[in-house]
Amino acid sequence: MKEVKVEVIGPEPPCARCQAAKKAVERAAEKLKDSGISVKIEKINILSRDVIQKYGVLVSPSIAINGVVKIVGRVPNPEEIEKLVLEA
Amino acid sequence: MEENVKRRIRAGLILAFIAVVIGLLVWSRIQAYSLAPTYKPLELRAYSPWLIPLVYLYDYFSHAWICLLFAFSMAGLIYELVPKETLTKHMGSSKVTGYTLALGIAPFLTVCSCTMVPLFAGILYAGAGIGPAITFLLMAPASNFLAILLTGELISWEVAGARIIASIMVALTAGIIISKTPWGRQIEKEYRMSSASPASAVEAVKPPLDERLMAALKFAGYLAKQILPYFIAGLIAVSYLEAYLPEEIIRGYLTGVGGILLASALGGPLYTPTLVEIVLGRGIWVREGTILSKGALLSWLMGQPYDFANALAVSRITRWKVVASYVIIAWAGSVIFGLLYGILSGSL
Repeated sequence: MKEVKVEVIGPEPPCARCQAAKKAVERAAEKLKDSGISVKIEKINILSRDVIQKYGVLVSPSIAINGVVKIVGRVPNPEEIEKLVLEA
Repeated sequence: MEENVKRRIRAGLILAFIAVVIGLLVWSRIQAYSLAPTYKPLELRAYSPWLIPLVYLYDYFSHAWICLLFAFSMAGLIYELVPKETLTKHMGSSKVTGYTLALGIAPFLTVCSCTMVPLFAGILYAGAGIGPAITFLLMAPASNFLAILLTGELISWEVAGARIIASIMVALTAGIIISKTPWGRQIEKEYRMSSASPASAVEAVKPPLDERLMAALKFAGYLAKQILPYFIAGLIAVSYLEAYLPEEIIRGYLTGVGGILLASALGGPLYTPTLVEIVLGRGIWVREGTILSKGALLSWLMGQPYDFANALAVSRITRWKVVASYVIIAWAGSVIFGLLYGILSGSL
């Protein structure tokens, strides 16, 4: 089974748009499970040094797939996440 | 092929809607149609107390809806279409670029308060340092796109211009001064990272145009939902202020040097990043189309540094000395620019 790591990057406590982004990722993950891809979702803090060290200055919400930031400062729809995960 | 045609039609429809919104604003300009409310205090007072807010809100929205619709749609569009990843990549690079970008992009990226603190931390950590970070933090609420547009439409474009210039000066001064203080330097040293070349880990993808436009409108709706409840509550307060606050009290206490001091002190605690400061300011200082004291009004509008929620989040990162410094500098700035503008415009 293929495993893909999806990180949702936002402030702590999460802002409304970051929660919307996370929900989109969760919905995509559910669909992808049926086609045999396991998505590991992590919520990481945009304010932490490690995150900035790794990804640089970002606008929340951002989403990284397998360690590469693909979405910066917007809420994607689940289909888009699905496509990005499949490409990863 | 089918899919492509559908996408194009959808993008076309949204663009047409945006064109109509822009057209409405242009049309209101040509017709010299007032986007600000038109009731006079005496007319308002004639209604029974519980009717006043209703009458006022109706008057307000029947005029201001064009302006609000335009403001929210444009804020959404700009936020969505600005290439954020390219801008933020350069934000941490050097002092000069840091300051320039902080001043230049703050008005467009910060219509949503949840982007402000992350960007502040990002600029601080990624190498540009505490100076540009503070400049960004102060510039952001002071002259974000929505605030300037509404100040211009509902109060006057001259005041909006003064607000932009004053904000730039104050934000820049605060950034430069704090970057020179011992505690500012200490924070900078503490947070600077040794090897920050993270650009390779970002490969932002762009969805097709119709989806981006749709997302822009959705974001506009989100902004409206966040801001309008406070805005309406502010208007209800303002309706009573306009009806019952006598002009003599404003002339007596809220104009001149004393008025500026009082306005700058009140502007802080009453500031909310939800544009309420604009309607309140208008309700207090604008009487039948005349601004009683442009200086005091500007001081009032510049009250952003005491914005508690953000100050709290920032103090967690930089500790209280930095917060105290920028609050004092920003307060002094609002007094100085209030005086300066009052004297220059002959409306102290």
